[in-house]
Amino acid sequence: MNVMRRRIVLAAPLTGLASYAAALEAPAATVVLTVRGALAQASRDGKADFDMAMLERLPQRSITTETPWHSGARTFQGPLLREVLAAAGAPRGQTARLVALNDYSVEMPLDDARRYDVIVARQLDGKPMSVREKGPLFVMYPFDTQPQLRNAVYFSRCVWQLRSIELA
Amino acid sequence: MTGVGIDALARLPRRRALLAASVGVLVLALLAVSWVQVHQYRLLNETTKYQDDYLQVSVHQLQAEYLRLRLEIHHASEEGLRDRDRLQLRYDVFVSRADLLTGPSAQRLMGHHPAIQDTVTRTQAFVARADRLLGPKPSEDLTADALRTLDGELAALDAAIHELTLEASHIVSAQAALRETAVNNYNRVAIALTALLSLSTFGFALLAIGQLRRLDERRRALEQLTSELRLAQRDAEAASRAKSAFLANMSHEIRTPFQGLLGMLQVLDADTLAPQQRAHLHTARDSARHLLAILNDILDMAKLEAGTLSVSPEAVALRDLVGDVQQLMQPLAAAKSLALDIDVATQLPERVRLDGTRVRQVLYNLISNAIKFTDGGRVTLEVRPDGSEWLAFAVTDTGAGIDPDMLPRLFQRFGQGDDSPSRRHGGTGLGLEISRNLARLMGGDLTVQSAPGRGSRFEMRLPLQRTDPPPADVTDAPATAAGLAGPARRALHLLAAEDNAVNREVLAAMIDLAGHRVTFAEDGAAAVRAAQAQPFDLVLMDLHMPELDGIGATRAIRAMAGPMARVPIVALTADVFPETRARCLEAGMNDFLTKPIGLPELTQLLARHVDASLATAAA
Repeated sequence: MNVMRRRIVLAAPLTGLASYAAALEAPAATVVLTVRGALAQASRDGKADFDMAMLERLPQRSITTETPWHSGARTFQGPLLREVLAAAGAPRGQTARLVALNDYSVEMPLDDARRYDVIVARQLDGKPMSVREKGPLFVMYPFDTQPQLRNAVYFSRCVWQLRSIELA
Repeated sequence: MTGVGIDALARLPRRRALLAASVGVLVLALLAVSWVQVHQYRLLNETTKYQDDYLQVSVHQLQAEYLRLRLEIHHASEEGLRDRDRLQLRYDVFVSRADLLTGPSAQRLMGHHPAIQDTVTRTQAFVARADRLLGPKPSEDLTADALRTLDGELAALDAAIHELTLEASHIVSAQAALRETAVNNYNRVAIALTALLSLSTFGFALLAIGQLRRLDERRRALEQLTSELRLAQRDAEAASRAKSAFLANMSHEIRTPFQGLLGMLQVLDADTLAPQQRAHLHTARDSARHLLAILNDILDMAKLEAGTLSVSPEAVALRDLVGDVQQLMQPLAAAKSLALDIDVATQLPERVRLDGTRVRQVLYNLISNAIKFTDGGRVTLEVRPDGSEWLAFAVTDTGAGIDPDMLPRLFQRFGQGDDSPSRRHGGTGLGLEISRNLARLMGGDLTVQSAPGRGSRFEMRLPLQRTDPPPADVTDAPATAAGLAGPARRALHLLAAEDNAVNREVLAAMIDLAGHRVTFAEDGAAAVRAAQAQPFDLVLMDLHMPELDGIGATRAIRAMAGPMARVPIVALTADVFPETRARCLEAGMNDFLTKPIGLPELTQLLARHVDASLATAAA
């Protein structure tokens, strides 16, 4: 009963994301992010590929915060995760597995993307991040506006060197 | 009961200190608890901020990346470089991981470990060399030889990296243990503080309960004290009433023999005496009068103190009142060759409402004082309105005046403006105090202005209460005129009801001297019988008599048929209480004669009433 109700509640924003989705174009440059898995409108081969330019065109947000991996407060900028997922084609599942270049992965409830302005950071202090600088993509939670997120669970979800997202 | 109160008072500071101490302990304990909580919060926050536990994962990942990079380079050096991008990615990921070792979190936990610093330095040295081949701006080609050298150098790092992972585990667990200890310590402190808090709260509660109980006790003690005080007050009031009653009795008891004494002296004065004998007689009479004045002062003072002295304002003919005073005082002034001037302002109304008896008393006192302290010149009584609200009686003399530092004490008991041991001026010293009290009792005041050698001026101010002019036939101006004119013109037949033999003799002598006849009745009932038997021109009625008292006898006579029902009845009374007068008037009496009776007063009275009644009869 309880579980069902939660499904119903979640259904509404998911439909919202779905309606936002347009047909995803093919990437023109090197693919930096791949979204695959439970997508209602997957574009090709059940997956969606993004190059940097495609990510740049999505609504952006910036987060300035201290992290355990950097010294001092830094500014991260990039598209909102929920916009990325919507662009990928209406995610249907409950979780997203965030996979890094070194195959590090962590599971994140899709709800996080809806409730918080989680971004897929493309830039650190206004400059693109190389792999050596933990780039090119860095998942960042809005620790600046929501300090209650500053705990091990959310820090562990801040995957750097993000390469792909698997929806389930 | 009062012992409890005093004891409680003595214990008060100690209890207050205890209360303050327990409140202090409470506050300190609460502060300490918040301190512990703040520290615990900070500890947790720091752990979260730097992600201490994450370090271990990080280091393990570094080791994994190290191994993957080594594998990749080894393969490339053995079998030739097939996928440069793949190698580049592995290298970049390794470098990004290695960078973490210099990050804030790692440095905070491991910065002071020399072994780790060594690993960090060696790793950085390797990266610096490898960057020439694989860095963002490579300066050398990635040849097979270069790859082999790189493979060798990477292999040399193996032990250091392994050491690093082990060390990181130790550090993190040590850190965790440290944190646990800290948290445990904080918890212990918190538990101790909670226990302290509980204890001090308990102590505070005990003190508060004790305080409440003591307050309750004190309240009960106060209630008891209040009821005791109320009883004491009732007793005191009863005693005061008893004293007043005693005074009333005394005034009667003392005045009666005085009446005899003074009366007989007056009767004797009318006899033919040798000049020497007459001088002795006058000395005796003056002494008796003086004694009576003193007695009256003391009685008045006692009544003022008991609060039983009251004033009863009535419509009074102001000029008659002043005339009475002048008549009485004139001989005193004449005796010292002083002029006594009386000046009544013409704009004053004929009649005003005031207590004539008391106003006379004050004026007698002021004028006799003035005469007493003036050796030459004049004494003046001025009566004039002071604004529209006040009536002022001013007595001015040309006497010695009063020393400025004596003025404040003048109205105090026994103050005579003369502290000299000789006390050449007699008197009780109560006169001015009584006068001022009387003036105040009548709603006014008595003030003095004086300077040594320039005389004194005493002024009594009273509220000016106008009253309707009296009906023409009740006006007593003609009566007074008749009274002043001397003894009545025809012989009258009086009935005197008097139980005291001495008084009867005095009355008989006085009435005889005045040229009238008298029939005596020894009690009220006898008086009523006498009145029934024959008519009289006037009845003198003593109030205190056996069988039937004066009031009862008056009622009986007023109830008779015939002319005796309208005969003037005059009360003979020693007490001057207003209530007594009211009762007399209510019973149907016409006037009062206060004992001891003097011959002048008697002749005046007779003239007043009998002439008036004759006038009424004629009309």
